[in-house]
Amino acid sequence: MYDIKISSCSLSDIDFADRTFPFSYGVLPVALATSIAKLGLLQPPLLVAGENGYRIVCGRRRLEVVRNEATRKVTDESLAVNVCVAENMSLPELFRRALWENLAIREFNLVEVADIYMAASEIFRVEELEQEIMPALKLPRRKRFQQRCQAIAGFPRQLRDLLAAGSIDGETVDLIREWSVEERVALLDLVAESGLRRNKLREVVSRLDDLARRDQVSPLKPLSAARKFALGEGDSVNVEWLRSHLKTLLYPHLTAAQLEFAARQEKFAWPANLRLEPPPDFEGGKFRLSFTFTSSKEWEKSCDKLTSVALEDIDEICRRS
Amino acid sequence: MKSAGVPDYSRSLFRPNTVLVEDDAAGYPLTESILSRLPNAEVVVIKRPTSESLTLLGRQFSSRTTLLLALHRGRFLKACPGTAESYRCCLYQILHLGLGCNIGCSYCVLQGYLNNPFITQFVNLDDAFAELDRELERPGVFYRIGTGEFTDSLFMDPLTDLAPRLLDYFGRSKNAVLELKSKSVAISGLLDYPGEIGETVVSWSLNAPQVCAKEEGHAATIEERLTAAALCRQRGYRIGLHFDPLLYFSGWQDEYRKTVASIFDHLKGDDIIWISIGAFRFMPQVKEELRANHPQTNITAGEFIRGIDGKQRYFSAIRRQLYSFLVTEIKRYAPNVFIYFCMEDQYLWQDTFGFAPSDNQELSHWLDKCCYRYSEVKS
Repeated sequence: MYDIKISSCSLSDIDFADRTFPFSYGVLPVALATSIAKLGLLQPPLLVAGENGYRIVCGRRRLEVVRNEATRKVTDESLAVNVCVAENMSLPELFRRALWENLAIREFNLVEVADIYMAASEIFRVEELEQEIMPALKLPRRKRFQQRCQAIAGFPRQLRDLLAAGSIDGETVDLIREWSVEERVALLDLVAESGLRRNKLREVVSRLDDLARRDQVSPLKPLSAARKFALGEGDSVNVEWLRSHLKTLLYPHLTAAQLEFAARQEKFAWPANLRLEPPPDFEGGKFRLSFTFTSSKEWEKSCDKLTSVALEDIDEICRRS
Repeated sequence: MKSAGVPDYSRSLFRPNTVLVEDDAAGYPLTESILSRLPNAEVVVIKRPTSESLTLLGRQFSSRTTLLLALHRGRFLKACPGTAESYRCCLYQILHLGLGCNIGCSYCVLQGYLNNPFITQFVNLDDAFAELDRELERPGVFYRIGTGEFTDSLFMDPLTDLAPRLLDYFGRSKNAVLELKSKSVAISGLLDYPGEIGETVVSWSLNAPQVCAKEEGHAATIEERLTAAALCRQRGYRIGLHFDPLLYFSGWQDEYRKTVASIFDHLKGDDIIWISIGAFRFMPQVKEELRANHPQTNITAGEFIRGIDGKQRYFSAIRRQLYSFLVTEIKRYAPNVFIYFCMEDQYLWQDTFGFAPSDNQELSHWLDKCCYRYSEVKS
């Protein structure tokens, strides 16, 4: 029979370095800090006795807020807090308790999911892991998601912080998980210089990875070239120049077709206010024509321009290259 | 013409050391026959598999060395999953007798679709034939039916002896042509078949030698496949060839030229009922799976755009280059051979051939007309 006792312990008795229950990683929520600063710790964290003091089962963020507050106020770390202490409870039972309590109040970030998965895979049997823990973490049972968790668990702090903050997504991790330390450092430098985040970062990394694979070189090569191209004022990298340059490198035929299409419109003096667009990525045969107008006079003018275009010119402009 | 003995297929032979048998599948003749050919395999009887239980079993047993024998409870005959009307589909029918294969091609799209980790053989063949009986009795309808969409048609034949069973059925069928598609050379069952083979088509998937070596796991070499094709032709089978997926890489022209030359070292144009061509395409989610399973491959790192059906495809100018080159090369040797595109748009048909099927039915009709039996059905 397990037991949970409410007691009081000092912060210095808590083993903050222990990560047996790795349920929180990242910046502490401001709202939580505000609440604790105003009202104190309302809900006692759950601890269990460990070799170097109490291990935190649930409530690490609350305790870290209290500790930060204590440090800020230069209070002695012997500050006492009310806690629940679990006794006679197995490691899997404690882990489950922490998992479900956390899930009841918040979503985990990618680093937390990875850390929890890695810790759980040491604690639980495969069946429990796959039938209970992975669904709870919304982790599909595919090899790449397990590889992703392993990679995140081994990433350096700077990358983990970006992941925890949501600046890097899981697909980007899948792409850079095989990159060397040097390649990842160069990417982090680029992130710092460009302010690239999430979707645009994923696009850039995907293109770098594709270029590296296509040309069988390190991603450093296209990365350095693109960075050099996109260097703007000072030390900042212009994100749009960077994206555009990488697209040109990866899609030379498509870029040429787009340029050629624009050149043909110019050559045949296509009316500027009639917007002619090729099919998306030139796939299929449907071109789109659009124009705007504010009056019947403008409408008439546009229609006149349209009917004045020679059919041969349309054929030539819309010719497949 | 080159001639040679039956190629050795031992390299690609599937040798399961564990057989999972669904309890309801025990006692079926095909189950008994497969188990008798695997006297040293561990046999584990399991309950009717579900996606949950298959995942757990996948942890317990290696997908590379485990065979699952199960019952198929849905329809055996299905339309080929051709996508949107914007790309022309030949309206092929699939006879769904198994899942997965052991060849391990990096580009295999099945790795993004299947939730069953095991190579699976459905053993309730009588149910499949009963369904075929019901379907094929529709008057005036002609069927092209293949078994090589979700698996390789021949790689497991030394274990299943399935090809002769299919020949027994389709050899006497008047309104259906069977196509067996493979990258294997396990053709003994086809060559030794004593009965009427009808108009059965044996087809091989072909590619550039470099692609075969780098991307096609332990498939038979191109030379071995073509040797097998020549032997099947001698036995009276009609031969189909499928250049799918065509890949765009440095030096692709020379590589594909070698394969085309090799075809006509082994076969005459008249031996070939049809040649299909399709450039590499894949659903976007397959890219991640493909990279996780084959980290060394670079085949997804090309100039891929999103097609109208949502699949990633090479930009049309690249497809046009690939198609024009390959069609010109083939026509140099065999001007009259029927070549068609698998899932390609009418514009690329038009650009390459100067004509295009107006819809899927027309393309289907063109392929039907390649079969002698079609005229018998229609006359």
